[in-house]
Amino acid sequence: MALLETRELTRLFGGLAAVSRVDLTVDKGEIVGLIGPNGAGKTTCFNLLTGFLRPTRGSIVFDGEDITGLRPHQIAARGLVRTFQQTTLFQDLTALENVLLGLHLSSGKGPRQVLFSRRHFPADEIARGREVLDFTGLAAHADQLSRNLPHGHQRVLGIAMALAAQPRLLLLDEPVTGMNLDESGRVMDLVKTIRSRGTTILLVEHNMKAVMGTCERIVVLNFGQKLAEGTPSQVSTSPDVIQAYLGTGVADA
Amino acid sequence: MPRKLGVSIVLAVLVILALLVPELGGDYYVHVFALVFTNVILAASLRPSLTCGQLNIGHSAFMSIGAYTSALLAKNLAVPFEIALLCGALLAAAVGLAIGYPSLRLRGVYFAMVTVAFVEVIRLIAQLWVSLTRGMSGLSGIPKPSLLGMTLTTRASQYYLVVGLAVVILLVLWKLEHSRLGLIWKSIGMGDNLAQSLGVNIARHKLLAFMLGCFFAGTAGAFYAHFIRFLFPPEFGFLMATNILVYNYVGGRGHFVGPILGAIFLSLLSEPFRGSPYETIFFSIAMLLTILFLPGGLITLPGKLAELKRWRAAASPTPSPAA
Repeated sequence: MALLETRELTRLFGGLAAVSRVDLTVDKGEIVGLIGPNGAGKTTCFNLLTGFLRPTRGSIVFDGEDITGLRPHQIAARGLVRTFQQTTLFQDLTALENVLLGLHLSSGKGPRQVLFSRRHFPADEIARGREVLDFTGLAAHADQLSRNLPHGHQRVLGIAMALAAQPRLLLLDEPVTGMNLDESGRVMDLVKTIRSRGTTILLVEHNMKAVMGTCERIVVLNFGQKLAEGTPSQVSTSPDVIQAYLGTGVADA
Repeated sequence: MPRKLGVSIVLAVLVILALLVPELGGDYYVHVFALVFTNVILAASLRPSLTCGQLNIGHSAFMSIGAYTSALLAKNLAVPFEIALLCGALLAAAVGLAIGYPSLRLRGVYFAMVTVAFVEVIRLIAQLWVSLTRGMSGLSGIPKPSLLGMTLTTRASQYYLVVGLAVVILLVLWKLEHSRLGLIWKSIGMGDNLAQSLGVNIARHKLLAFMLGCFFAGTAGAFYAHFIRFLFPPEFGFLMATNILVYNYVGGRGHFVGPILGAIFLSLLSEPFRGSPYETIFFSIAMLLTILFLPGGLITLPGKLAELKRWRAAASPTPSPAA
């Protein structure tokens, strides 16, 4: 069944349609890739799904509930959690503290519950934080300041924090950007493991090898519109997609 | 724990020193230190908002609201001091809610501009609503503070009152900063998008931090009104608002003690210039020197000195290669 479904999702910036009438469906347990040339509207799409932008038109339904127009924290609380394209971490905290904060912030405790609590994290939360770091392969770097981590580890830490928020659908915005082959391979393995633990995944990525090797279904955007959809092999042989990526033939150039 | 013990000893010595001021000095020192503690409350109450990454250059407006509310209630309606003070603080917080709700979604300099404009609005209201505030003639004849029906007539007793207020407020703020609420504020300051994406209602938490600051600024204002017993609208202008901000930056924003230290240090040091045009110059120079040499504020000074010492020690015994 569909975990996430958008109908005619549209966002205009002035006269420019960054995303135009996109129908996107993600089924429970899938790994879906969202690809397209630069400026195709992939990140705008993510911002719409997670409430950082409001759609101009159209609707977003998550697990049977209409979440169109909800604010980011409300959407995160429903189990739809994103990572960011630019590495976004709490720079002055250690890796473990970042994950603990992820655990805590997502616990949804209001001011009244936190007012009389202590700042020190209870042992069970620390154990859970370490478990998340273990799972993502960052256990050895738990006590390093996140700003001192190598780029690849910082990206993975971003994913670890999102995992701490216990997503049902995880949105990854270019998770392997700037990574070498080895690193990106490991991250893509991690993505598969996350899915096998029951989290559905929608990811935006430019690295075609990573996308083709991981995703079961791919949606191609171009100029804000859905250009094609299908299995990796269907998409990679579609003439429309090839044209969008490589341009039209020599005669038109 | 030796460290904890050391901190307790330092705190105890400071409290005893503070309590001894009326014994050791005359009325002049009592007056000066009462204002120092007022400034400590103001500086510390700005911190929650700053921790959330909101640059509030309008804190004096909320002090003004607390001051005028409390003074007018006590003077015109003979409301007891405690209740007048509470009303002043509550009205300041309520106005904070009304101003903060629409403007806290603005970030950085845009929010700062709203707060600057608000200082001017409050100043002009106090200046132009002559029938209520007596405008530029100033509001005089404000009753002295009282506690449980007993009027605090001596300067020393009023001083003890503000020390008590400051201690209670600092304890509350310290407790909050070291609770999980403080952690959420810090996370918003470090990365509001990230905090949001993890499920934090940043609008609500920013508003709460802001209102809390307004409440305590109103408290400080109310005490000020009954202590000085004369209110003059321009006192609560842009200059005082920037001073409160400067206390935070010069003291240091990285630690709870920063604003307290900044307020004590700058208010004492600027005392000879109080009320003269040199006061502004003094604060500007203090701010510039801090930004240039101690970007982390005064609280980072011991660490910097230790670093310098280590560096010297490491450099001196090594013979220069030329020798």
